Amino acid sequence: MAATLEKLTETVTGNDGAPPSRTASRTEGTFAAAPNLGRSVHVVGPVENVDPNQGPHPKNSRGELGKALFNYYRNSTSKDPLSRVGAGTHSADRRNVVSEALNRAPKGDINPDRVPVPDPEAMTRHIKAVGHYFGADIIGVARAHPSMMFAGARYSDDGTTAEGASEPESPEELASKYPYLIIASTAWDYDKLQAHRHHVGDASYHMSQMYTNMIMKSLEGYIRELGYTALRGTANPQATALAAGLGELGRNGLVISEKYGARVHMPNTIMTDLPLVAGKPIDIGVSDFCNICRKCAVTCPTNSISFGDKVVFNGVEKYKINWKTCYGLRPFVTDHWGSCLTCVTVCPFTKPNVWWRSLAVKALHTTPFSARPLLVRALKAIDDRFWGVVRQKRVRWMGYDTGIKPGETACTVAGCTASHEHAGNTAATVSNIGFYAPLKENTNRFVKRDAV
Amino acid sequence: MPIRLGPLTIPWPGTGSRGDPYWESFLNRPVNDARNVAAEMIRRAPEGAINPIKADIHTPEITSSHIKELAYFVGAELVGIARVEPEQAGDGEALPFAIVCALPAQHDPRETPGVGGQVPTQNGLFATFVVAAYIRELGYRATAAADPNAERLAAAAGLGRLNADGRLVARKYGRRVHVAEVIRTDLPLAADGQAVPV
Repeated sequence: MAATLEKLTETVTGNDGAPPSRTASRTEGTFAAAPNLGRSVHVVGPVENVDPNQGPHPKNSRGELGKALFNYYRNSTSKDPLSRVGAGTHSADRRNVVSEALNRAPKGDINPDRVPVPDPEAMTRHIKAVGHYFGADIIGVARAHPSMMFAGARYSDDGTTAEGASEPESPEELASKYPYLIIASTAWDYDKLQAHRHHVGDASYHMSQMYTNMIMKSLEGYIRELGYTALRGTANPQATALAAGLGELGRNGLVISEKYGARVHMPNTIMTDLPLVAGKPIDIGVSDFCNICRKCAVTCPTNSISFGDKVVFNGVEKYKINWKTCYGLRPFVTDHWGSCLTCVTVCPFTKPNVWWRSLAVKALHTTPFSARPLLVRALKAIDDRFWGVVRQKRVRWMGYDTGIKPGETACTVAGCTASHEHAGNTAATVSNIGFYAPLKENTNRFVKRDAV
Repeated sequence: MPIRLGPLTIPWPGTGSRGDPYWESFLNRPVNDARNVAAEMIRRAPEGAINPIKADIHTPEITSSHIKELAYFVGAELVGIARVEPEQAGDGEALPFAIVCALPAQHDPRETPGVGGQVPTQNGLFATFVVAAYIRELGYRATAAADPNAERLAAAAGLGRLNADGRLVARKYGRRVHVAEVIRTDLPLAADGQAVPV
């Protein structure tokens, strides 16, 4: 595969004033071999650990992405009450968001009465059963590797003290001290996700994200109750999910899971010294599919998804999206939706978890590599024929209706007596399909598509 | 997880206790530090402010159906609304409605003190927190709190009936049901049952 070498940009290396990163040489020792992340992602060169403070949200909260995004993120209250309980940045009062309550809760102590673990396999089965009992749809365990870790001095020794309590540890030290990473997630509601680019789709995403947050907090607390350390936010969740075998990385830059496709959000990982057995990466044919399909790239309203091949970025060969254009759309559409989710919805892997979906994934898994392009073309043709190039389904829930053109408000509830004077005339509905804006043809005039 | 068909219980392999040496302590081992339990994190969280801008709302019947749809979506399996006889809240304003959510529970959280035993409580707290916060963000008062009369209100809201011990018995789940925190609100709703003096 032709891989183009892209220069490191500010996404990874940080600002000029940033302290030198703590990338030690990993050419010898336990971590000499690159981690196995499956067929979709290959670690090919030295990886510089990314500072989580250089991610889109932290950058934005410091005002580094411009006024429009900053005001959208910090100074706006969503017009939609469901979004106001789903995201702390858009609520009238942040305390009305469960995730905020959970994130601000003080951490508990590690139980001094440690539970012995003679059989790590039994403990792994137990942790997975516990995760499912808490409500997780997928859960996996990966072996920590320094190249999967974040940089930064935010780690603490026992997970109970704030930063600065002790000398920060390097990714190598942490990965040998706390060798296992646990990641769990819940799938977004499929039917509500069909209302992508709409507040209903946001609700699907936000509620699942908040519930996942609670599951991860519970797991973290349970590991402390077992008498072991649990650190949060030390490793890249996507790399962890790939190494744990939860899925493969798609063209849309999302982990495409075996059972649910791209409709899973990867939360902050748990890093622990609890003896476990790490999972193995899986092969569900995402790599072969993304080579051919490009549905997400075609439908992305901001052309942020590449049509080209994988690139090597920061020592990792993968599909890379342009996060700046993806993120930059938000302030302009905030009245109509919060999170676009179109690349999730159109992905052929994102389907209800039913027998024909399992059959297709199983077929992809068992077909030899050389024959896969043929199968992929057939499956994509079926997908386009039966599910549409863009999924446009009218979703009606809690008084929301995606049949109403965005920007117009109409009360769609029979017998409603609320005053809607501000909305002007009643909007007309458009047949039985969902209505999503801005449409691709509108944005194509403003956003330059990269070379095919 | 065993399959239940009415009175029959068929053991079924899957998640659960089969061959898991740690499952018993997961359910029953008393918690060393309560801050490690998500239920406690939500319980101790401060209540958010009421949005000063009141939202337009629909008729009580439609608002009730929306609130129920939201509660089902965030994890409650049974939702009912009961009207409570005028009872004076802290600052003299009445909160006439009680939204009662119930969730199926394999174990009674009152008898299983471990982290796992508290899972129904935690899911119930999650659902009631989101629904109460949603009402506050709409601009109406709503408080989710543990209520000693929760099971009586649940029966009044039509979730089931009370047995001789005063425990809720739901049609679908029998006694294996956990009544979550009760949301008291002044959002105009339509009650499912008759008024209950508290």
